[in-house]
Amino acid sequence: MIKYLLQSLRLYLYQAWLSYHGRYSITSPFGYISSKLGFPFFLMLFFIFMGKFVGYTNPLYIVIGNVLLIPAAGSMSGVTNAIGDERSWGTLSYVLGSPAPRLPIFMGRSLFYILDGFVTAVLGFAIAAGIFHLDMATINFGMLLLCIFLLAITSSGLGFLFGSISLISRDGWIILNTFLSALYILVGVNFPVGSLPSALQTIAFGLPLTRGIMAARLVLAGAGWNAIRPLLAGEVLVGAIYILVGYLCFRLIEKRSLTSGTLDAI
Amino acid sequence: MHPVAIEARSLNKTFITKTGLWKTRTRSTLAVEDISLTIERGELFGLLGPNGAGKTTTVKMLTTLLLPTHGTARILGLDVVQQTAQVRKHIGFAFSGSRGFYNRITATQNLNYFAQLYALDSAITRQRVPQLLELVGLGTRGDDKVETYSSGMVQRLHLARALLHDPEVLFLDEPTVGIDPVGSRELRQTIKNLSSLGKTILLTTHYMAEAEELCHRIAIINKGRIVALDSPEALKRHISGDSVIEACIQPGQVQGILDLLRVLDGRTLVEVKNITEPETVSIRTPEPARVLELLSPYLNPQYIQGLEVRNQTLEDVYVTIIKAGGQ
Amino acid sequence: MKALRWGLIKQQMLVTLRVRALHVLSLGLFVIQPAVFTAVGMLLSHAAGNAMPDLVYTVIGGGIMGLWSGLVFSSTYDITGDRYYGTLELIVGSPTSLTTIEAIRTLINVLTGLFSLGLAFVAALAIFGYSLQGVNFWGAGISLLLLLFSMWCIGVFLANFLAWSRLSGSFVDFLEMPIAFLCGFMYPIRVLPGWLQTLSGVIPIRWALQAMNESLLGNRDLPFLLTHWAMAVGISLVFLAITGWLQARVHDSIRLSGELSSI
Repeated sequence: MIKYLLQSLRLYLYQAWLSYHGRYSITSPFGYISSKLGFPFFLMLFFIFMGKFVGYTNPLYIVIGNVLLIPAAGSMSGVTNAIGDERSWGTLSYVLGSPAPRLPIFMGRSLFYILDGFVTAVLGFAIAAGIFHLDMATINFGMLLLCIFLLAITSSGLGFLFGSISLISRDGWIILNTFLSALYILVGVNFPVGSLPSALQTIAFGLPLTRGIMAARLVLAGAGWNAIRPLLAGEVLVGAIYILVGYLCFRLIEKRSLTSGTLDAI
Repeated sequence: MHPVAIEARSLNKTFITKTGLWKTRTRSTLAVEDISLTIERGELFGLLGPNGAGKTTTVKMLTTLLLPTHGTARILGLDVVQQTAQVRKHIGFAFSGSRGFYNRITATQNLNYFAQLYALDSAITRQRVPQLLELVGLGTRGDDKVETYSSGMVQRLHLARALLHDPEVLFLDEPTVGIDPVGSRELRQTIKNLSSLGKTILLTTHYMAEAEELCHRIAIINKGRIVALDSPEALKRHISGDSVIEACIQPGQVQGILDLLRVLDGRTLVEVKNITEPETVSIRTPEPARVLELLSPYLNPQYIQGLEVRNQTLEDVYVTIIKAGGQ
Repeated sequence: MKALRWGLIKQQMLVTLRVRALHVLSLGLFVIQPAVFTAVGMLLSHAAGNAMPDLVYTVIGGGIMGLWSGLVFSSTYDITGDRYYGTLELIVGSPTSLTTIEAIRTLINVLTGLFSLGLAFVAALAIFGYSLQGVNFWGAGISLLLLLFSMWCIGVFLANFLAWSRLSGSFVDFLEMPIAFLCGFMYPIRVLPGWLQTLSGVIPIRWALQAMNESLLGNRDLPFLLTHWAMAVGISLVFLAITGWLQARVHDSIRLSGELSSI
């Protein structure tokens, strides 16, 4: 049993590293920072000026929301692309054809994206604090880090869901990108979820991230543990459901693609 | 008309790669070192060598896709670095592998596109594309998407693409890799026909039989250098008039047979090929009669199951040269 | 210009259409993403307490985003696709120059993006009740042509850069949003701080777009429009000249590094 667990752990870590390294063989620090922070940063500026034009007076709301979405977007697209890449490199059938246990293989793909997203978000907050004079003096850093970390984990569940789609279709990442852009409307990144039409609010609360972002905003406003606890509990619950559904989809689609032979079609 | 089709003078290629995230290390790899060749018009020339020997790099320099680090090369008298555009009009090239086409469209659509890149008249294109597909044995599959092709079919489609603009000089990089025996025999016949039409062809391969069958002259290249260059016959003479005897020996009896052969002098080379069951011992010798005499008492299934005496093939020459470290 | 043969343009269009444009990707790129941007703009406006969003910047601006993202994405996708398929090497090895191919492809990509802009325009008219009353039609028309021209110039410039190395893809991705934000795709330039307005002056798209938006809002000030058009054309030509100058160098450098066939 212990041997099995150790082997799973080793497989998990190795899978994690391989999956991450295979995709990002970035050769310079500039490449890393620009690819991680460049797009979200300028997208955020774009939203801020859109807001300024229409008379939206709270640019910090947009800043915080966008920074919080960075780890989520990173781990979602990381996991999806990791599976999609393997498909196009033709390595997927070797992985799925091996007798290795599925869970560590499956989860292994997300570890570094979660860590990576976490680091980028912390970096994003540091930059935002410098540029937009985000007042960090009164807030509880431990709780903020917890929120960011939780957001990175729960969003990887969405990544698995879309990753499974990459197993059936070579265009899984397109669906992901479209969905990712919808998050800018739904989960309270640029404006409060409360200002959405009620049907969209229902969808928003059925997604991971919504509650986590609300909790992080409360922390930044100086709220204590009791205020955010129910939100975090909800976030964990929703996130866990998505991870479970993602895993089941992965298994189901793995089985199906073995019969339909779509595994390596590119 | 320039009499020389391909001329290379001291071609060198060094690749510089950078590794490392914070501290970048630069590593240079010498892929091709001091390659000089002259290939006459109408010649079918073979470039042989192990994987990574520099064959493809050489071909890419000659086809204007890579710039040499040092040295010059001319195609039909045109410099590959200075007169790139003119060179490209006169050459066709086909690389091996399943890449090189848009998979989501058909073979005909792919060829139509490439024909336009070579500024082919549309009337000529309409006529030539089906002809070429026919030539490479894909006549009935032209309207199928390339993603439905087997690797051998893609390989043949490469040749059709290379021939679109009827080039005078053809570069074929391992053209029969991944093609089944029947298909590759047909392809070799196609290559011979092209050669008999007067085309100059430079072919790289690591199938010795293919090179021996097709090529007028062969250069063996190892670790970026040419280590031998001559006609296949002359290359075979290069290693004297030795014969090769291959004996299939029962496992367990090999050592006994080897001991038996110890009486022969240093001109005879004995090699055990550990890949088959029963094991094969290959004996290259200038005195085959003597060897047969030594082995004859053991010619029964308990010891030696089979025996073959043959002249040296190009493969023997190749193996000897490459193993000698290219000296 | 004899390089731009009709046969070549036609074949390239057919290939682009079959390989990429008629693809589920196009739906996301030209319809859904711009719609999301428009939705964010409208919801921000709503959250700020406005009764009605600004249709020119928020709705038609979404179409501009679609046009631009489509162009950046298609150019990147084209060249990485060619690397991936192994066709980049074959194109470079043909007598037709890569720049010619890129020029044609970028033209196709810009024209495809027009679909997005057209859709946004129709949405503004049909769904949100945008009124054409007071619109300076000739000003908007000329500005649109110049907008497409400057997008084409920038597209060709970026495509040349993309051929250079595998990694430049992430750099071009990196440029997509900065240019959108500097040129004021969904808000007027005047909301930017002064130094950013000055900085945006080096991008020809900004001048053509400003002229177009002002015309749609009814501006008939000829000197204003002429200056903007002149700036758009002038800077576009500068970009073309730089592209021509870079082309030979990029071409040599990819042949030195062997980056052509690596994926």
